[in-house]
Amino acid sequence: MEPKRTAIYLCEDERELARALIGALEPRYRVSWSPNGEGALEAVRAGEAEILILDRKLQDADGMEILAALRDGGARTPVLMISGLGAVDDRVAGLRAGGDDYLVKPFAMPEFLARVDALARRLPVEGAALLRAGTLELDLIGRKLRRGDRGIELLPREFKLLEYFMRRPGQVVTRKMLLEEVWGYCFNTETNVVDVHIRNLRVKLDAPGEPKLIVNLRGQGFRLDVPA
Amino acid sequence: MSPRDLLGSTPWRLAVAFALAITLLTGGVFYAVYRISTQARIDQLQAVFADEAEKAAATDDAALQQALTLRLTRDFRRLNFVGLYDRSGRRLLGNIETMPDAPIDGRTRYVADFRPSAHDDPEPTLVVARRRPNGDVIVLGRSLSEASLLRAVLAQALSFAILPIAVGALLLGLLFARRTAARIGEIDRAIAGIVDGDLGRRLPSRTGLRELDGVVGSVNHMLDDIERLLGQLAAVGDNIAHDLRAPLMNMRALLERALAEAPRGEGRAAVQGALRQLDRAMTTIEALLRIAGIDRQSRVAGFRELELGALCAELQEFFAPLAEAKGVALTLAAERKMRRRGDPDLLREAIANLIDNALKFTPRGGAVRILARERAGRAEIIVSDNGRGVPAAESRDIFRRYVRARNGADLPGGGLGLAIAETIARLHGMELTVADNAPGARFTLAERDGP
Repeated sequence: MEPKRTAIYLCEDERELARALIGALEPRYRVSWSPNGEGALEAVRAGEAEILILDRKLQDADGMEILAALRDGGARTPVLMISGLGAVDDRVAGLRAGGDDYLVKPFAMPEFLARVDALARRLPVEGAALLRAGTLELDLIGRKLRRGDRGIELLPREFKLLEYFMRRPGQVVTRKMLLEEVWGYCFNTETNVVDVHIRNLRVKLDAPGEPKLIVNLRGQGFRLDVPA
Repeated sequence: MSPRDLLGSTPWRLAVAFALAITLLTGGVFYAVYRISTQARIDQLQAVFADEAEKAAATDDAALQQALTLRLTRDFRRLNFVGLYDRSGRRLLGNIETMPDAPIDGRTRYVADFRPSAHDDPEPTLVVARRRPNGDVIVLGRSLSEASLLRAVLAQALSFAILPIAVGALLLGLLFARRTAARIGEIDRAIAGIVDGDLGRRLPSRTGLRELDGVVGSVNHMLDDIERLLGQLAAVGDNIAHDLRAPLMNMRALLERALAEAPRGEGRAAVQGALRQLDRAMTTIEALLRIAGIDRQSRVAGFRELELGALCAELQEFFAPLAEAKGVALTLAAERKMRRRGDPDLLREAIANLIDNALKFTPRGGAVRILARERAGRAEIIVSDNGRGVPAAESRDIFRRYVRARNGADLPGGGLGLAIAETIARLHGMELTVADNAPGARFTLAERDGP
């Protein structure tokens, strides 16, 4: 399996947590681990880290400084920042400093894995005017959706939601990712409001008898399944 | 501070008392000076007078007449009175028209309202009458109007001396009262801020009153201790939450692996149940750490211009599908142009938590109403429902961490959403209150002060 070969470098000084993360990552990735920040830059330079997972606060270093050094050196390696600092500012600061994603502890493992998977797969070119997934065709300029021969009307928010899925076909997307990316919200809701939005989208996507395109993965999130 | 408060203040009262005391004491001193000097003059005059009367009685007629005339002609100030009367009381000489009604015994007497003639004003006068050997009566008088003059001069001097002191004292008192009021006001505001949860705030240390400075110093010291202790307490809580994260995440990873390795095993349902419970625990820990994080956040960082009405409209749109699915009417009435400075992400979270909460507790067929308005310049965001409501006794506790309205205990969620909303409200100088909506609950997020 191709993703298994992706090399991940994890900088996390909480050993217990590091062990849990490594345990979750190992079935799919090649993981190197270091409790401090020193190794990270070298690993990236040596091409041994295709994805960097960086704790914001390491015992001997500030994750933000490592990130800054990395970006200053021109490295475009995807970086997932993880941090115990939960204030919204930190997230914004982390992303602004060049992090590709930011996850606040504690996080559920499926959430973590979905984020890493998202980084491991390169997104379709941002500039594309037409997104295709199976028989789905999303015209980003004309704001039109077709499934096969059928045209489907979408509300602006539904359009954005589907666009997010179509940029990540076959990939697990968590509720938190949707909240953050589609709505720009950084909070958790105790209700199943995201599920309802998805359900509404599904009703429009799937005509009776057609296979369900967006599947619900219990305990993980959702996935846009594209029939081969 | 109103003029009324100012006039009731201690410094002003002290100033009034001081001005009064100065006036009384100085007045007393002046009165004593007046009394002593006047009395000395009267005593002196009395002695001289008795002597003169005795001599006059003994002098022969011609010499007496000459002496009396001389006395009157020399008396430019008209202080001397003279009268010579024959046996029948007829005036022979002098400027006293009728013989005064005084005992003819040669002793000097003080007459308070002596009138030498009918058209003269009465004045205090020393009078002595004595019978001459030939039976005539000689009356001598000496006006004491000098004393009244002295009194007038003294009174003038007194007013010159006292007025500036009294006015000065009152002005100083007023100044001091205002200054003290301002300082006390600062202290008062600082205390109000601390009570409102701004634990890092301290009382202004230089009050200008040394005694008060001491007290302020002690209070600030006490606040340092309280803040440190609360910090330790919060740190203990945060550390517990922090330390629980790793084992819980480990446990979750292990359970997931167990689930993956036993696709059809008998323990599957149990493992899935354990995962659900674990997720609830994680949600709680996440919320607790989130509250700690917001508490730590500085006031201005992340604050920018935002519009509360638009924020509410956006959230209404976000929750509308959920409300529809639940069969609950979610309506919005938002005034526009409610521009404020704040952290939009946090405010969105606070309002979302209120809507979230309202939707959770409102049964099918119910209604949730979002209202954003301005009242007396203060922004108010009200989320009301006609669901189960909040029992009055629990309304105070509802924002405290862990506590949830008891009749909602069977619903999912840690109940920390409201605690988070309350923390965010506090950060924005707002207050989150809950009231009975009869039926249902009404949560109000309102600014304490205007924009």
